[in-house]
Amino acid sequence: MQGAAIRLDGAKAGGKDIKLGGRKVEKIKQNPIVKKIGFNRIVLVGVLILMYLLFGALCAIKGRASFFNISHIYSALNYAYFLGFLALGVTFVIATGGIDFSIGPVMFCSALVSGYMLMQMDVPLIVCLLVSILVGTLFGVLNGYLVAYLDMPSFITSMASMMLAKGIGSVFTKTQSVIWPQASQENGWYRSLVKIGSGTSIIPTGLVIFIIASIICAIVLNKTKAGRYILCLGSNKEAVRLSGVDVKKWEALAYILCGMLAGIAAIFYVGAYTTVQPGLGDTFNNEAIASCVMGGTSMAGGIASIGGTFIGVLIISILQVGILAAGFQIDLQYVITGIIVLVAVYADIRSRKRRN
Amino acid sequence: MAGKVKNAGSRTTNPLVEKIGGQRLVVLLVIITLFSFFSIKSEAFRQYSTILSILDYSYYITFMAIGVTFALITGGNDLSIGTGMVCYGLIGGFLITKMGMPVGVGLVVTLLCGILMGVLNGTLVAIMEIPPFIATLCTMMIARGLGSIVTGSMSITWPPLATEQGWFRSIFKITIGDTKYPLGFLWVIILIIIMTIVLNKTRPGRYIIAIGSNKEATRLSGVNVVKWHMLAYIICGLFTGFAGIAYAATFQAVAPGTGAGLELDAICGAIIGGTSMKGGAGSIVGTLLGVFVMSMLKTGLPYIGLQANWQQIITGIVLIVAVLIDVIRTKKSGK
Amino acid sequence: MGEIILTMKGIDKSFPGVHALDHVNLEIRKGEVLALMGENGAGKSTLMKVLTGIYKKDSGTITYEGKEVEFENPRAAQDAGVVIVHQELNMLSHLTVAQNIFIGREIMNGKMIDDAKMNEESIKLFQKLNIEIDPTEMMGNLTVGKQQMCEIAKAISHDAKVIVFDEPSAALTEAEIEELFKIIRDLKKKGLGIVYISHRMDEIKVITDRVTVMRDGTYVGTLITKDCTKDDIINMMVGRVIYEDPKAASTVPKDAPIVLKVEHLNAGKMVRDVSFELRKGEILGFSGLMGAGRTETARALFGADPKESGDIYINGKKVEIKDPMDAVKNGIGYLSEDRKRFGIVVGKSVAENTTMAALQNFMKGLFINKKKEDQVSWDYVKSLKTKTPTVETEVVNLSGGNQQKVVIAKWLTRDCDILIFDEPTRGIDVGAKSEIYTLMNELVAQGKSIIMISSEMTEILRMSDRIVVMCEGRKTGELDISEATQENIMHMATQRK
Repeated sequence: MQGAAIRLDGAKAGGKDIKLGGRKVEKIKQNPIVKKIGFNRIVLVGVLILMYLLFGALCAIKGRASFFNISHIYSALNYAYFLGFLALGVTFVIATGGIDFSIGPVMFCSALVSGYMLMQMDVPLIVCLLVSILVGTLFGVLNGYLVAYLDMPSFITSMASMMLAKGIGSVFTKTQSVIWPQASQENGWYRSLVKIGSGTSIIPTGLVIFIIASIICAIVLNKTKAGRYILCLGSNKEAVRLSGVDVKKWEALAYILCGMLAGIAAIFYVGAYTTVQPGLGDTFNNEAIASCVMGGTSMAGGIASIGGTFIGVLIISILQVGILAAGFQIDLQYVITGIIVLVAVYADIRSRKRRN
Repeated sequence: MAGKVKNAGSRTTNPLVEKIGGQRLVVLLVIITLFSFFSIKSEAFRQYSTILSILDYSYYITFMAIGVTFALITGGNDLSIGTGMVCYGLIGGFLITKMGMPVGVGLVVTLLCGILMGVLNGTLVAIMEIPPFIATLCTMMIARGLGSIVTGSMSITWPPLATEQGWFRSIFKITIGDTKYPLGFLWVIILIIIMTIVLNKTRPGRYIIAIGSNKEATRLSGVNVVKWHMLAYIICGLFTGFAGIAYAATFQAVAPGTGAGLELDAICGAIIGGTSMKGGAGSIVGTLLGVFVMSMLKTGLPYIGLQANWQQIITGIVLIVAVLIDVIRTKKSGK
Repeated sequence: MGEIILTMKGIDKSFPGVHALDHVNLEIRKGEVLALMGENGAGKSTLMKVLTGIYKKDSGTITYEGKEVEFENPRAAQDAGVVIVHQELNMLSHLTVAQNIFIGREIMNGKMIDDAKMNEESIKLFQKLNIEIDPTEMMGNLTVGKQQMCEIAKAISHDAKVIVFDEPSAALTEAEIEELFKIIRDLKKKGLGIVYISHRMDEIKVITDRVTVMRDGTYVGTLITKDCTKDDIINMMVGRVIYEDPKAASTVPKDAPIVLKVEHLNAGKMVRDVSFELRKGEILGFSGLMGAGRTETARALFGADPKESGDIYINGKKVEIKDPMDAVKNGIGYLSEDRKRFGIVVGKSVAENTTMAALQNFMKGLFINKKKEDQVSWDYVKSLKTKTPTVETEVVNLSGGNQQKVVIAKWLTRDCDILIFDEPTRGIDVGAKSEIYTLMNELVAQGKSIIMISSEMTEILRMSDRIVVMCEGRKTGELDISEATQENIMHMATQRK
């Protein structure tokens, strides 16, 4: 993983070679402070800062408006909130050794269904927000049941529910976009979940909530029975089953948590952008998964880091804003995310092979 | 559906049934049932033009499905085919419409892109041993981005039939006199025959099945498993290239950013046709039948009042049912 | 006696930490069946893997048809005519019989595979063997016996001169074995050299001409089959001196209550009608050769695999055990033979593994009480003398013996009264072994009861109070420790019922 991260920012820093000698790296890793925080995370933060500077430089070279503007950070944050909730959720699923490709469309489905209820059916806002979470949770229950109890492969199962989510979203809204209310309008208070104020003088409430949610997820993953069993069964499901643990229940729970968080992500998506269209959302899967694997969560299961996912989300968000600010096509992001996941997964496979 | 396929699982003694394959027979029945159902429900469905449009919808899915059948037989998968198909269509079309190249070049480039993607997927899966679904998910993202970047996020309209360059559209639907004929179906049949032979009668096919059945035993038999494993993905890429051409010829325009989800129609078709997610077993003819189920549903639903957005829900449900049957079947045979 | 076709001389092979083969000799002659015998782990399979190019030897020579050879890989050995019919079949279940036989060297007709020709050739092969198998049948649809015949046909199709059968009869029915013997006699008549590995004494007497015995990776000797008795062979197999004193008599009082009673347990082929009792404070040894069904019995009892029928009583009360959850609830703990796969979660810490089965006792509200977890784990580290720097250390970094102690700690934390130790000292060095033994004795002294599955005769004799012997899925005998000897155990373990 470290190798991947170094190579990554090496590439991004325009080929600047920061590969350290193996022994030197070992020495740094043994440093007690570094050990405490985690070498990976330090590297990741380095990548984040480097990338920020890189885009700054790119904008300057291309003669565009300065990237070091607070508005860019705010728009990166807007992106980070919903992506963050998606990534937090899928971290649990990847920890079990599975995958969930349905989160992006599920988020959109939640936003569409609850938004339609709010705008067309005059359902109270608070109920709509709960409905949003409920829809996501239901998809989680479906995925969890199919994967954990019926032994279906997670990737194909979640792709099927991705289709269901897209279809249900568009059937429910009769293939219409849904525009959630503006902050100033009636029922607009939900937007203060994302930020209070406007322009550059705002309070980023979303950031606070995202941080709190990350801390809660980290606690759930590391301090509770659920998290413990999710991580252990991701590492060796059969050994956990033979310890008399109800592995099916805990595996399903990971998918349910993931679905629920996708439902919450929907609230932050509309909080930031208000408009949702049916039939979309699958690109966010990839970005959420990329955030996780970049942050050190292993696709093979058993190893997961919420802190890593948190930084991974920020990196992807900066990437997204930076690509736009520097005047590239946003599609470049798909290519870069694809390469990030490939490199991270390959590095993970290599490091596990070496360890055995 | 579940009940019917269960019957197919039980051993049949009728030699004719055994020859065709129980599951394929059931799928054929499903197709006939669906067709009769839609025909009874809707008069408009009983038209020649509807059959033409079912076929139109089936070509590109069929090509992808033939390709992905090979990937599935190795025990892998290829998720990049949907966006890949669109990406190659965009690149080929871009060369023709924006760079002024002849259509022939565009067609060849479309195929070439598919092959290249197959080589990339094969390298990632067979040599670097990245799990197929994650490797092809990444190449799916890359294909999606590339298609848009090359064309500057603009849709590409391949030359219409009326123009001089539009001859390629006749490859799939030819107009003789006043009647349109589904010429594409002929190519589909020919390719189905060729690939059935490749799968069942040649070394590449034999080794691809063997890899999916038991890779280690195949390796111990002195077979170069890496090479043949890779070839399965290259075949898949090539057929995705064919699909790209069929897609461009069938539809007015190719739009960047689309194509995601179409791979599921193809995968679903292959699984319905009896190809196992666990690898080792697959049938090209079965895949064709499976695809017809999918395109019949897709074309037929609007005729009974379910709009296009229901198609995704149907795809999702059919996929779950098909995979579930496959999982149960594999479990049973494992005992 | 035929002329010598293949000689292995002074074959030496070491794996990290194990001297698997210590200057072993073997001589194979034309037109002769040589039995290769030895206890589990004697080195028979390793020797055959060296012969057929799967393993590389460290030293020694192989002379084949007068020339010294070294096969690079199984394919090279096959091409030279030395083939092995594996115990685990290397078959491709999705291909037909003929396609399996010719995999990797298909008969071609131009660019096309000539399946018709391959079918014909297969039929010819089968005719040679005097068996009837449809070459167009899918391999996966055949019975195990038929699959084995196909493997043999495949071997012959390589124009084999030496064929090694690695426990060919293990999965065969009586009738199929008859058929197999007919084929072997046929091959023998044709002048092939045959090596026959088996645990079944009666078969050895029937089919083989000479017997070579191995023990602990060394060559013991070779006997002419018709001139020796079953006892001669067994004596050579078990002939080691036992340094550790075997237990003289059971330490369990006669009236100790029965904590576990298993009646007529059936689960698949490997567990047929197994019944036994376990008393409080007793170590019940399960002896038998590889494939006797001991692990399968334990797994079925523990609910790890589904069982067909059978009743289980714990402390006289009938219990329903459908899955490991039920077993653990009823106070049964299982220490698997394959620690890394089924015993521990290697990527997790000592503490996490210790509390795995009893996490509910370590909760403080919603959260895991890390302090208590570490405390208890550390207590077990001390009492079991587990060598680990901290309880946070990942178990992957521990040695085999210490990993085993972590698994024991897991079940002790759960307070299980019945413990199933499946090969408790496999892959563990001598020092750690005796610690595990001491620990087991302490556990039974505390009133726990232990089922110990072991393939090591010394271990069985040293630890058990009573011994159940199994052979091919059935219980073939039960002995009190006072009457058990290596010889009578081996008799029971090689006796089919």
